[in-house]
Amino acid sequence: MNSIKFNLNGQDVAVELNPSLRLLDVLRDHFHLTGTKEGCGEGECGACSVLINGRVVNSCCFPLANANGKKILTIEGLAATKRYQILKDAFHIEGGSQCGICTPGMIMAAESLLSMNPHPTDEEIRIGLSGNLCRCTGYNMIIKAVKTAAKLGEGLW
Amino acid sequence: MVRHIIPNNLNEALNFLNEGPFHIMAGGTDLMIQKRSTAGTPPKFAKDVLYIANLAELNYIKKDEAHRCIRIGAAAKLEDIYNHVDTPALLKDIIREIGSPGIRHSATLGGNIANASPAGDSLVALYLFDAEIVLLSVDGERIVPIKKFITGVRRIDLRSNELIKEIVIPIIPITAYKWYKVGGRRADSISKVSFAGVYLSNFGLVADIRFAFGSVSATVARSIELENSLKNRPIEQIIGDLPRILEEADKMISPIDDQRSNKIYRRKVAGNIMERFIKNIA
Amino acid sequence: MFDPNKSTPKIDHEEKCSGQAVYVSDITFDDILYAKTVRSTIAKGYIRAIGVPTLPRGYHIVDHRDVVKENYVKMILTDWPVFAVDRVNYIGEPILLVVGPDKRVIDEIVSAIQIDYEEETPVFDFVNSVVNKSFAKGDYSQAAKAAKRTIIETFNTGYQEQAYIEPQGMLAYLEEGGKVTLVGSMQCPYYIKNAVINTLGYPEDKVRVIQPAVGGAFGGKEEFPSTIACQLATAVVKIKRPIKMIFEREEDMLVTTKRHPSEITLEAKIDENNKVLGIKAHVSLDAGAYIGLSGVVLSRAMLAVTNAYTINNLDVSGDVYVTNTVPTGAFRGFGSPQMIFAIEMFMNHLAKDLGLDPYQFRLNHLVKQGDLTSTSGLYRDPIILKDMIGKAMAISDYQKKTEEYAKLDSFKGIGMSWFLHGCGFTGDGESAHIKAKVRIVKDEKDVVHLHIAAVDMGQGARTSLKRVVAMALGVENEQVVFDYPDTDLAPDSGPTVASRTMMIVGGLLARAAQNLKDNWKAGERQEIIENYQPPQYIKWDESKLQGDAYPAYSWGVNIVEVEVSPVTYEVELKGIWSVYDVGKAIDERIVIGQADGGITQGVAYGYLEVMRHENGKLRQKNLTDYIIPTSMDMPPMETIIMDNPFAYGPYGAKGAGELTLVGGAPAVALAIENAIKRRVNRIPATPEHIMELLNNE
Repeated sequence: MNSIKFNLNGQDVAVELNPSLRLLDVLRDHFHLTGTKEGCGEGECGACSVLINGRVVNSCCFPLANANGKKILTIEGLAATKRYQILKDAFHIEGGSQCGICTPGMIMAAESLLSMNPHPTDEEIRIGLSGNLCRCTGYNMIIKAVKTAAKLGEGLW
Repeated sequence: MVRHIIPNNLNEALNFLNEGPFHIMAGGTDLMIQKRSTAGTPPKFAKDVLYIANLAELNYIKKDEAHRCIRIGAAAKLEDIYNHVDTPALLKDIIREIGSPGIRHSATLGGNIANASPAGDSLVALYLFDAEIVLLSVDGERIVPIKKFITGVRRIDLRSNELIKEIVIPIIPITAYKWYKVGGRRADSISKVSFAGVYLSNFGLVADIRFAFGSVSATVARSIELENSLKNRPIEQIIGDLPRILEEADKMISPIDDQRSNKIYRRKVAGNIMERFIKNIA
Repeated sequence: MFDPNKSTPKIDHEEKCSGQAVYVSDITFDDILYAKTVRSTIAKGYIRAIGVPTLPRGYHIVDHRDVVKENYVKMILTDWPVFAVDRVNYIGEPILLVVGPDKRVIDEIVSAIQIDYEEETPVFDFVNSVVNKSFAKGDYSQAAKAAKRTIIETFNTGYQEQAYIEPQGMLAYLEEGGKVTLVGSMQCPYYIKNAVINTLGYPEDKVRVIQPAVGGAFGGKEEFPSTIACQLATAVVKIKRPIKMIFEREEDMLVTTKRHPSEITLEAKIDENNKVLGIKAHVSLDAGAYIGLSGVVLSRAMLAVTNAYTINNLDVSGDVYVTNTVPTGAFRGFGSPQMIFAIEMFMNHLAKDLGLDPYQFRLNHLVKQGDLTSTSGLYRDPIILKDMIGKAMAISDYQKKTEEYAKLDSFKGIGMSWFLHGCGFTGDGESAHIKAKVRIVKDEKDVVHLHIAAVDMGQGARTSLKRVVAMALGVENEQVVFDYPDTDLAPDSGPTVASRTMMIVGGLLARAAQNLKDNWKAGERQEIIENYQPPQYIKWDESKLQGDAYPAYSWGVNIVEVEVSPVTYEVELKGIWSVYDVGKAIDERIVIGQADGGITQGVAYGYLEVMRHENGKLRQKNLTDYIIPTSMDMPPMETIIMDNPFAYGPYGAKGAGELTLVGGAPAVALAIENAIKRRVNRIPATPEHIMELLNNE
């Protein structure tokens, strides 16, 4: 069995697991990081979003093998940061969370977007979150939340 | 027991491949879903798996001035291709509408080609530009034009000891281009019909014109014959030739009914798009 | 003074953002087993034989023979089996569970099981009516005689899938003493508890239901989770180890309940003054293989026949048909979206047929306070719909756009729907069946705990119900605790459905809190139980469907603007404007969240979301093929909540959850009509359908 090494939420880890396992399952079942959710299992809904080297990916169609040598950030890792606090506050102010199943993924996608584009337009936010389905909100409150986060977190991204 | 190989470099990968056969896994955004099993269990692979996503030798995008082309490594991510200054604008427009950011950050152009889906959007541009696929094995390189490389629905001309090394996209002079993606929604959708068209006009004369449809045939539909019949003609004449063009374009495609749309719609929309494209030549 | 409109932090916001909120799929035990369902692959037939391979040690088959007492899922009727016995009635019908510790081995066993069927010809058409209802108002035949014109139209609506992002799932385990405990994604803990009690034949105190965080429900987790619960309860009693069953998306989409496809025929009798004297209506609903809640869904569809208009003579009937397809069931709106689509389109079409301005024509029929409802109940409370319409038209620039888009080749359109939604259960549901009860307990530290079965599935019930109690007590929010429902602690306050949670449960809580406040003894434990009392004015005859069908009505106006591509026929939403009267919004931000999400589902129902079956097999079985809107599909929205406090609701609140969905489809369909100058009688109005409409005339 190959040993696969990566950095998970700031810690170097090595696992000896089937390399074809979905990163999603490795995070949830092996590392018990259940903030990453499974909504569809086929890269449509984004509930399983994590950051690989700072960019959002769907961990449900990301094989563990491809994590080798990467920096992986899950919502649990992001939650320890100032940026997360800003995003969380902005989601609160704008009412961006309802049932919550898409919320960690939304926040990961927002983090990915803001880290590449700290001052996105509404349209850019819509594109940035277009891989994260939400059935509760109709998206507008989430779009506003990302916009508000960009303002409140000026200079952080 | 299926083996999983994560090669350290390209040579190692080729040596493993030589002992093939392997499933070659790039970003995984198609293959992981096609082979998926119950949540929490590994995907079901019938063959050994070779992981190439992290091979640095396959991850590049560069302009080759000497050969007037762009060379894109098979493992280059769609998002990187989109962001690259030398990527043709048409291809950028196409990539921007493939999947979502989460998909584009791991999906590769090589994977999109190897997957050979009739609805593969990037393929439409590659057909249009007469892209070439550079295949690599321990025996050396083999270069195959895209339209030869893709032999049918999810069928490609890849030998068991080969992998896709790079995609060569010729740079051609263009006056204007048009891309239509008709999907179920405005993001994150599989095309019902797609169309790419380019032309080069000089002083009212069309010097070059190319167009291709996706999702309405087993593979991308392009007719060199029809294109040639329009070259070196005045724009007004081409527009005047619209009824024949539409009739011929209609023969290019053979759409089907499926869970996403139906053939009547696909045929009608393909015709509408073609009409709009021709009428807008200037 | 506490302001009910004021928004407070959602009590689960932090845990939901950080991923710490626990959903059923996040819970595990060391000795957990997994279950997978073996399902019918045919639409109708007999099971001749089931071939099961030799099971490895530790693996089990659970089927109808293991059911302790009743092999039906208790809802209203007894027709829905827990496990198929010897016949199957739809593709996907559960036959047995394979249970064991390793999912891979379970998969192998499932694929080795062979079922020998004797197939029969399935029925997919509206031929087997199993529920028939009718009611009348005034005298339709008299109206017919007085009329100068008769206009008839038929409307069709398709399936809609709830598409909550968290698939269905449940976990069952035995507690000390053999108590069966179920933890799962649900809306109605007591529906589950009662269904499990019925299937196991257990006493009340030997079944416990606990709700963890729920990742969206929209009606889809109203009655369906009871089926999973009965299966898992049967399994856990047999195997005596914790068992977890989480649906994958495809299984969820193929076998869980959906919105009923419908066909609605409306016939209007119109007099020489262009007044609609009477409407004759017939509603057909496709229940799928089992009736489930379909009879109640039919009632709500029929009762909504006049929507926000007053029509004095009605002849309304409806049938529920069973077909060999997946059972349909509860979905936000519950029959009302189908009818409101039909009647809104019909009223506009009538105006056009009569050569009148649709806005003025509809206004001439608008409901007023003191009018009689479709079932000759009374609209007792003030109705501010006319002001709401004016407001919505002003903020959307409706009049100007309507004129501008009337140009033949504009391919732009704007549409407006007016609608009502009856709050709470239909008819005597609350008093005859639900009999809701709430319990609040103040501990020695003067912290007040809410013990109710109301589920927060994202709509914010935990936050807003807590707020109601805090306001009534005059204490800070922090002094009130509302944990996830657990039937061992919470009495049956009723299901979390029918836009009843704030009005009914919130009302009971407000009364309980007032009671506590009046008798407050600092430092002492106190417990208050409050039972539902129907308002005295309510008179309802269930057998004739006559009287006050609902204690109150919420009202809404939706305006949707679209642009249709003449090349691809795709619809682009350009703007959405809404005005609602929900009595009083308790926590306005939460209500606007409901409004935004509701109309998104309603509009998507009208133009986007396609689900069809082919010979009983659903063709859209995942989120790739069943298209719901992304952030790119939704336009900016403007929502205004207008105050119109309801005398009997807590702080004036009425229902809000479903109201916001029911007007979306007609608004977008009317906008599409306006853009393409063709009538839309069928939803979803997909690009494929729009092409047909444009080609056909």
